[in-house]
Amino acid sequence: MQAILSWQLLFAALVTGSIYVLVALGLNLVYGTMRLLNVAHGDMVMIGAYVSYWLFTLSGLSPLLSMLIAAALTAALGALAYVGLFRRLLANRQLVQRLEGNSLLLFFGISIVIQNLASLAFDSTPRAYQYLDRVVAIGNLGITENRLAALIVTGILSLVIVLFLRFHIYGLAIKALMQHREAATVVGIDVERVQILSFCIGFGVAGLAGALLSMMEQITPFMGFPFTIAAFVVVILGGLGNLLGGMAAGLLLGILETYGVALTSPSLRSVLIYGVFILVLLVRPQGLLGGKRVVR
Amino acid sequence: MKRRWLLSLMAGLALMAAASAQAADPVRIGFAISKTGLFAAGTGSQFDTYNFWKDQVNARGGLDVKGVKRPIEFVWYDDQSDPGKAVQIYEKLITSDKVDLLLAPWGTPAHIAVSGVVERYKFPMVGDSAASVKLRELKPGNLWFTTAVMPDRFGPVIADALKANGLKTVAVLTPQLPFALEVKSFLMPALKKNDIEVKVNEEYPPSIKDMTSLLINVKNANPDAVLVFSYPADSTLYMKQARENGIAAPFQFVMVGATESWFTKQFGAATDGIVTMGHWSPKVAAWKKAQPFFDAYEKQFHEAPDYLDSALAYMSCEILEQAVAKAGLDKDGIRKEISTETFETINGPVKFNGVENATTPASLLQIQGKSMELIWPPSIATAKFEKKPAWPAN
Repeated sequence: MQAILSWQLLFAALVTGSIYVLVALGLNLVYGTMRLLNVAHGDMVMIGAYVSYWLFTLSGLSPLLSMLIAAALTAALGALAYVGLFRRLLANRQLVQRLEGNSLLLFFGISIVIQNLASLAFDSTPRAYQYLDRVVAIGNLGITENRLAALIVTGILSLVIVLFLRFHIYGLAIKALMQHREAATVVGIDVERVQILSFCIGFGVAGLAGALLSMMEQITPFMGFPFTIAAFVVVILGGLGNLLGGMAAGLLLGILETYGVALTSPSLRSVLIYGVFILVLLVRPQGLLGGKRVVR
Repeated sequence: MKRRWLLSLMAGLALMAAASAQAADPVRIGFAISKTGLFAAGTGSQFDTYNFWKDQVNARGGLDVKGVKRPIEFVWYDDQSDPGKAVQIYEKLITSDKVDLLLAPWGTPAHIAVSGVVERYKFPMVGDSAASVKLRELKPGNLWFTTAVMPDRFGPVIADALKANGLKTVAVLTPQLPFALEVKSFLMPALKKNDIEVKVNEEYPPSIKDMTSLLINVKNANPDAVLVFSYPADSTLYMKQARENGIAAPFQFVMVGATESWFTKQFGAATDGIVTMGHWSPKVAAWKKAQPFFDAYEKQFHEAPDYLDSALAYMSCEILEQAVAKAGLDKDGIRKEISTETFETINGPVKFNGVENATTPASLLQIQGKSMELIWPPSIATAKFEKKPAWPAN
C-alpha cells in the first residue's frame, strides 16, 4: 500500500501518460481532419528517435535541440505522404467513402516498408545513449533528468497545441474541418492547406515524441508498433477526433497502467489496459469525452 | 601403348579433379537467430561468435570431416524472437535446404521449440544459450545443453553464494519466461534451506516497460540482495530504474545482458558491482584455450567476447567440430560421439551426462571496475565478491 502513495509512482505515471498524450495527439489530428487511420504513426516515433540518436552520437547535438530536426523531418514525411498518396484519394468522391478502411491498409503497408528500411539501414541492434542521465533526489523521490525534461517538454507542447487550436486561424480551421467538412469548405477554408498542415503537425509531433523517448528507452526499428497500439487505445478512449478528450485519456492511461500494475501485478498490465478499453467502449462508445464530436 | 598411357593419365586427372571438387564442397551449417523482436538485443554475440568460428575454421583450410577439409557455409534465418518461427526454420533447414549440420538458435524458448524438430528428424544439434530441467526430463537424444547453469544447479549455487557472503534477505523479480521460472523454482527451496528470507517475490511479463511499482516494493523491503532473472531488455530497464529509485542492496543480480559489451558501454560506472550469470573467464589458467580465444576475438571485434553467450556459442562449435572430425557428417556417428566423448573447450573439458554438461561448474560473474570476475564457486573463482558501490550520480 505504501507504494501507491509514493511520489515515485506518480512521477512514473505522469511520464508514461505524457508520452501517450503526445503520440496520440498526432494520430487524432490526422484522423479528426481526414478520417485517415494512420497505423504507421508509431514508426514516425521510431524515425524521430533515430534522428536524435544519430545526431547525438555523431555530433553530440542535444536531443532537446535535435527534437526540432526530428519533428521537421517527420513533418516533411507527412507532407510527402499527403501529396504523394492521400491527396488524390481525398479528392475522389467515390474513394472517400471507403477511405477509413483503405487508409488503414495503405498505412499498414507504409509501416512495414518503413520498419524494414530502418532495419536494413540501422540493423536491429537496440541502441541507446546517455543524456541528462543524472538522478536528482527530491526528498525520497529520485528523478532521472531526462525523464523530467521529457515531462516538461510534453507539457509545454500540449499546451501550445491547445492554444494553437483555440486561437490561431489555422488551428480554428483544423477544428472547423473536424466538425463539418462540407461546411468548412463553404465558408472558404482552404481545405487542401489545412489537411497538409494536419499531416505535418500530426507526423511532426510523433517524431518529436520519438526524440524525447530516445533519451529514455532503447531504440530499435520495431519500437514504434506498441506506441501505435497505445495511441489507438488512447484516441478511442478519448473519442476519435476529440483532441482534448485524447489528451485526458493519454494521462488517464498512463495513470491506469502504472497504478493498476502497482495494485495488482505487472502480469495484468495488458488485461487492465484492454479491460478498461472494452468497458469504456461498452458503456460510452463515443469515448470518455466524446459527446457529439464537438471540439471546443 | 602410347594411347593407353594417355587414357590412364586422363582418367587419373579426372579422378583427382573429382576428388578436389569434393574436397572443396562446402559443409552447409544451418541455424536460426533472433535478429528482431524481444530477444534481438541479446543475440548479437552468439551470431558474431558463430561467424568468428566459421572464419577461423575456414582460415585453417576448412572443417575437418573425417580427415577431409571442407569450407563452412552458413544458411541462417531470422526467427523474429518467435519460437514458432524457429520451428518452421529448422524444418526448412533440414528438409528443404538440406543442410549438413545444425547450430542452435538463441535462448531457451527457441531451444525448447526446435527440440521437437531435431528429435523427429534425428538430427543432432549442440545447444548453447539455453537450459531446461523440464526438457532434460523428457530425455531428448539429439539436443545437448552446453551451459553449466542448468536451473537445478544454478538456483542452489546462487543461494550458496548469498549465504557465504552473509546476505540474509532477498528480493526476487522474475520475468515469465521458461528458464527464469525454472531457476526460480529451484532457488526458492535452496534459499529456505540456507535461512535466507524472501522479502519480495514478484513475476512480471517479459515485455515490461516500467518497473517502478516493483522497485518501490523492493526499496521498502530493503533486502541484502536483489535477484532479477532478467533478459537484455528488462536488465536495461532494471539498471535505469534501480538507479532512479536508489536501490542500495550490496548484491544486485541481473541474469542476461550484463556480460555483453553494449551493457558496459551503455551504463558505464553504474555496472560496477553488478552480479550476473556466467561460467567462463579467460583468467582461469586451467582452461588453456580460454585466453587465446579471448585475444583472437578481441582482435577481430575490438571488444571483449560476451562471457556468457560468446563462450557458449564457441563451445558448442568446438564440440560439433571435434565430433565431426571423428564421425564425419553421419548423424548417428555424431550423436554417439557427442553423447560419449569428452571435448576440450575454452571452458575446460566438457562431457555430457544425458543432455547436460556434467563437468563445468555453475557459477556467478561480477563486474568489478572494468573487469569481469568469476566470484563463485571458490573452486574456479578469479576474485572475491565485492559489495556493490552506491550508484554513480551520472
